Amino acid sequence: MPCISSSSKPNCRPVWLFFALLGLSAMHTHAKEDLTVPEQVSLSANMSTKQLSISWLGGTATTFDLMILRTEFNETVFYETVSVTVNQVSGRHQWNWTSVEPLECTSLSIKIRSRDGQTTSEWSSTQILQGSDLPSNDKFQMYPQDKVVPVGANTTFCCIVEEGKVFGNIQQSNTVMNTMQLSRRSYATTVYNQEPSVRTGTNILCYDYPKTQLTGAVVFVGYPPLPSDLMCETHDLISAVCQWNEGRDTHLYGKRRTLYSLNKRICPQTQRERKCIMDQWDGNWTLVAQNPLGQYSLTYSAELSHRVRPEAPANVNSIVHAWYATVLWQWKYSTYSSLALVCEVELSSQGYKTTHTFSGVGLRSVDLPDLYPDEDYSVQVRCSAQQNFWKWGDWSKPFFFKTKTYVPEAPDVWMWMNRDNTGQVIWKPLTRRQSRGQITGYKVTFWSPEENQQHTEMFSPDTTAAPINLTQFATFSGNKIKATVIAENNEGESQPASVLIPLRLTDVEPLVVSRAVHTDSGFPLFWWKDVNSTCGYVVEWHEASCKWDCPVEWIKVAARNTNVTVESANFQPGVRYNFSLYSCSSEAPELQQRWQGYMQELVPSGSVSLSASQQDSNILLTWGEIPLVKRRGFIQGYNVYISNGSQLALLANLSYQGARNYTVKGFSEGSYKFTVKAYTSAGEDTGATASIMLELYTDWLILEILASLGITALFLIIVTFICYKKRKWVKKAFYPDIPEPKLPGDWARTQGPLDVKPSPHSMVHIVEKPEWDSSKEMLVVIPEEDEDEEGQGIGDEPVDTDEPTSLRYYNHVVDERPIRPRYPDSSTSSASSLDSARTDVTYTGIQTSGSSLVFQLDPQGFSEGHQPQTDQFASCVGGGGGYRPQMQTRAQSDDMRPASPEPFLDPQVASGGGYKPQSSWNFDVDAGESCGLAPSLGSPTSVASTQFLLPDEEEHGEEKRQLSSSAATWFTNLLSSTKP
Amino acid sequence: MAEQEEQQQITALDTPVPGPSQTGRAVALARLLHHECTHLLQLYKEKETFLSDHTPDGGRILSLSLDSEEPSTEEQVLLLHSALRQCLGLIHCVIAKEEEEWGELEGDYEAMRKNVRLRLEHLLHSTKDLAETEDKTLEVTPDHQHHTEETDGAGGAFGLKMWTYRVLQELIHWADHAAQTLHVLHKEREGTEEI
Repeated sequence: MPCISSSSKPNCRPVWLFFALLGLSAMHTHAKEDLTVPEQVSLSANMSTKQLSISWLGGTATTFDLMILRTEFNETVFYETVSVTVNQVSGRHQWNWTSVEPLECTSLSIKIRSRDGQTTSEWSSTQILQGSDLPSNDKFQMYPQDKVVPVGANTTFCCIVEEGKVFGNIQQSNTVMNTMQLSRRSYATTVYNQEPSVRTGTNILCYDYPKTQLTGAVVFVGYPPLPSDLMCETHDLISAVCQWNEGRDTHLYGKRRTLYSLNKRICPQTQRERKCIMDQWDGNWTLVAQNPLGQYSLTYSAELSHRVRPEAPANVNSIVHAWYATVLWQWKYSTYSSLALVCEVELSSQGYKTTHTFSGVGLRSVDLPDLYPDEDYSVQVRCSAQQNFWKWGDWSKPFFFKTKTYVPEAPDVWMWMNRDNTGQVIWKPLTRRQSRGQITGYKVTFWSPEENQQHTEMFSPDTTAAPINLTQFATFSGNKIKATVIAENNEGESQPASVLIPLRLTDVEPLVVSRAVHTDSGFPLFWWKDVNSTCGYVVEWHEASCKWDCPVEWIKVAARNTNVTVESANFQPGVRYNFSLYSCSSEAPELQQRWQGYMQELVPSGSVSLSASQQDSNILLTWGEIPLVKRRGFIQGYNVYISNGSQLALLANLSYQGARNYTVKGFSEGSYKFTVKAYTSAGEDTGATASIMLELYTDWLILEILASLGITALFLIIVTFICYKKRKWVKKAFYPDIPEPKLPGDWARTQGPLDVKPSPHSMVHIVEKPEWDSSKEMLVVIPEEDEDEEGQGIGDEPVDTDEPTSLRYYNHVVDERPIRPRYPDSSTSSASSLDSARTDVTYTGIQTSGSSLVFQLDPQGFSEGHQPQTDQFASCVGGGGGYRPQMQTRAQSDDMRPASPEPFLDPQVASGGGYKPQSSWNFDVDAGESCGLAPSLGSPTSVASTQFLLPDEEEHGEEKRQLSSSAATWFTNLLSSTKP
Repeated sequence: MAEQEEQQQITALDTPVPGPSQTGRAVALARLLHHECTHLLQLYKEKETFLSDHTPDGGRILSLSLDSEEPSTEEQVLLLHSALRQCLGLIHCVIAKEEEEWGELEGDYEAMRKNVRLRLEHLLHSTKDLAETEDKTLEVTPDHQHHTEETDGAGGAFGLKMWTYRVLQELIHWADHAAQTLHVLHKEREGTEEI
């Protein structure tokens, strides 16, 4: 290949290239010559389905390139290679293409070429499917029109604006849609997932700009049909009536509604009924339901004898009697004459319905028994096949009839007798059913069996009582007459109803009146069986307040019964009713038992008549009874209130219905207002009020004063007498002779305060033991040598700390007021004796009061806290009156200490026993110090005494038990001091 | 409340005036028809809400040609009678097409649509009695000469809706025209404006 290798020959390459291209071109030309160019391309468009059918003559080629363009904008819509076989009949190739947009939206250009591998033929001539946007069609348009699509589908619409106008927008339900321009005038939009439309469809609107013109399209979105429950039956035993359920709403109506065909026969349709009638019973049926969105089939099979549903009976009639009627009807179809039928007859009267069932072949009449005379009835009949029951037929139209009249029922008769031998025979008015026709009147006959005399009177139909006066029958020898009542209507007379009336009324007020309690069902009454009762009992009732010609009601009870529940529409709340039980026998009715009761108890409507009066220093409230009609319940008692301003305070609840008075005690003089309210089980009434001015009751006061004076005088006399008899003792007790002091040596007596120094060997010392009662205090003579020992042993014993030990007596003024303790050595009266000889005795007058006590000075006991101040208080209060000499209080200070847990009355304190000499009185004592040691109480009276009472332990113990009061203590001391 | 007032108004219009003249009754009837036509359009707009803010620009469906430039009142009544017959034809057509398209219904719109048809027939009988002479016999049957081309041109359910809208407006117009024309006749014949 010199051309190749030689680059020095520049003309070689173009030549080679030329031949190469020529060869290729020749080969290509040869191939094209082999592939047929499609010819006679024709287009067939189905606008509703948006389908374009393209056919052409394409020779032997089986593969073609199809190109579809929007003509105006030359935009490719479809360009694909498809395999299409030739139709052997027509010799043409055909291919279908479905457009997204409606084919009217814009013009489409279609061209085709054959392909064989990579080799293709020339393109065919372009075929144009003209759209509606051609200038020649200048209208404002929208496509597709009246499209029917299933729920959830997507639909593309296009709007072609009017020539010369500007496109505005496309809207659905006021929503502006996104659009795409297809051509100069055509715009498209797609609505996605469409919802079921209303009856008149969904509007898609297109506006120009500005919004001057409107066009649009309606799309109907719905469902394909889905019927169910196909069923066929026969009424005439020949034809078939098939019905079905329409199923879900297709949302398609009018010309787009569902059409039904049964066994390929179109079913005429009405708005409401879904049924189809076939002239003959086929046994197998196929229902086809179809609408623009699809179709659905149902099948059904059945034998005729199993699907018989008779027609409603026609021309219903009746033959009536008094107590029964015959109902007749006719059948529309003669085929029923051999059909075994079962029929229901529904009988209605006065709002009540009863159903009777009859059966028979070709049944056309039935007898209805147990009817009431002169009664209106309505009857309806329906039937079904007796064998192979399928369904009841329709009810016939109601037929009305009225039974014939009959003689009336005997009235229910009773009587009411007043206390003056007048009364009335009464009977219950006959109901319409009992009358059995129009009542024309009542015939009342009074008949004396003994005298065989009778007297008859006629009464109008609206009468329910005949007056009777027993004085007319006074000459009759019998003790009763018989009253007979007969009701009459056009058919005749009723059976007689009678009651026996006693001619001699015995004024017997029974018996015990029991209470009848109303329940939901009435008043249940019970009684013991009366052996004399041969024809049962009569229970009558009336308002308890009625006394004369009362509107009485009654009920008759069979002899075997001993109870009844009385109920009446006339029962009123708050009204008391008397219930009386009479036994029925051959003699006049005899009262057996009586009850009283309220249907419902209410609070009394009236109040008692209340009055108030002063009785001594008390207030007596009295009241009367509430009238019966105002009680409105059983009075259970009364509440007595006192009025405090606007409020009432309960004073007493008198739960006794017979209470008629109440005494108010303990009130001082003044004005008072009292209210008394009676109460029933429903509550209390408004109350009656009475006022009273309570004045001072002077008689009793005077009596009290006189009694007090008398007792005081008697007491004084007794005291005087005792004092007179015991004058010596009094003298010794209160004014004893002062003994001469016995002093060693010759002591000159000096005037002034006594200052005695005891003998060195005759020292007097107060011996105190904490556990002792004050009654055990004693003065003992202590030898001087013992003194030291004792003083050392005791330490801070609360003995007189003066040196030498001295003995001091203090008179105390004692009262019941709290005691202010004092230190024993604070006595100033004894201070002067401290300097005396070894024995110092100071006598101080002791004043007694109503109560006295003994103070035992016990520093040790004090320090141990055994005698808190409360004890002192207790001793001050509880200590008995009497003489209390030379006692030292245990209290060391004025401090108020907590109360001791020990008993309030300490025996040591409470006891008034012990040393009790030399009493003196001083009334000038400060009350606040009356319980303390008051050394300066009045003028001291120096009393020398050697008669110290030192009771032994037994005596002391006994006193501890017995002398709990200070008075007793004082008396004991008093007696002790009088011992010689 | 609005419905009650409307009902009272209808009742008042329906109430026979004691001793009205033939022309007076015709005027009252035309006014009642106008009221019912207005109500019918209102009910239709409630069904097709997109029509609430749309005014059709198609012009009158019906047009009358007068023989003279200044026709007498009797001539105007004759023309009115002719127009009312066409209106009756239109409402008949609307009823038929709507029932075909949507099915038979018993709503307020359908009831009022039936009322308008009956009232229009009644008014046609009245105008016939007023305008008919021995020389000229008038028909009261519907005249269908105008509706076919219009409905066919509109096309589809949307076209039916738009056409129905135009028909209802046309009825209002001619009912009002009838009330005015008959009132003029009433004044001429009775010499008073009182109905």
